[in-house]
Amino acid sequence: MSLEAHVTTFLVCIIPIYVAAFLIYVVRVVKGPSISDRVLAVDALSFDLAAFLVILGILFKTAILVPIAIVLALWVYALDVYVAKYLEAREMGD
Amino acid sequence: MIELAGYEAINWLLVIVGEVLVAIGVFCDLMGALGMLRFPNFFVRLHAATVGTIGGAVVPILGAALIAAGCDFLGYYRWFMAGAALVTAILILIIAPAGSHVLARATHKSKIVPVEPKVVDMLEEEESRGGE
Repeated sequence: MSLEAHVTTFLVCIIPIYVAAFLIYVVRVVKGPSISDRVLAVDALSFDLAAFLVILGILFKTAILVPIAIVLALWVYALDVYVAKYLEAREMGD
Repeated sequence: MIELAGYEAINWLLVIVGEVLVAIGVFCDLMGALGMLRFPNFFVRLHAATVGTIGGAVVPILGAALIAAGCDFLGYYRWFMAGAALVTAILILIIAPAGSHVLARATHKSKIVPVEPKVVDMLEEEESRGGE
């Protein structure tokens, strides 16, 4: 078995487990009782989506998918800080 | 010929180590998702979120960086992919604990979720005494 076939087979076997984890996170995002639960679930979902983008970049041989993961992680950190500021001070900042 | 065999062996070694890291990461990801679904409370779910971000995102991105460095069928851009994946892993390693910590602090201070399995809560005692 060549190296390319080995890597492709392994990554294709990994993808359904990631998709199952994403669906479980989406259940928590939809039915979370408080806003903190939803934001925490979106947080974990997006960091795992960044890992999934890197894996898809290897699978599709597309190098441009990897910097998109960096941008996604930084935007989710911004979401955390905004929601925390709103919860603590009840205003979004000027 | 011997040099070519060594090159192939190094590629296979990088790919196998990277695949082991990705397998560990996908296991942690599934366990973090199940914990996020099953745990009863926000402050308990922080534990599942940590498993899902550090174990489920940082470790597979490091493994994907090793796989990309070992896959010579990706062409010259595999070094770009490996470096960018390493930067992503270090960035998530820094910002994921900071984000979840700032969210937990805001939730505790705004009192929208009760601190349920509690033995002692010194932050709440200090706030009720009036000290800020």
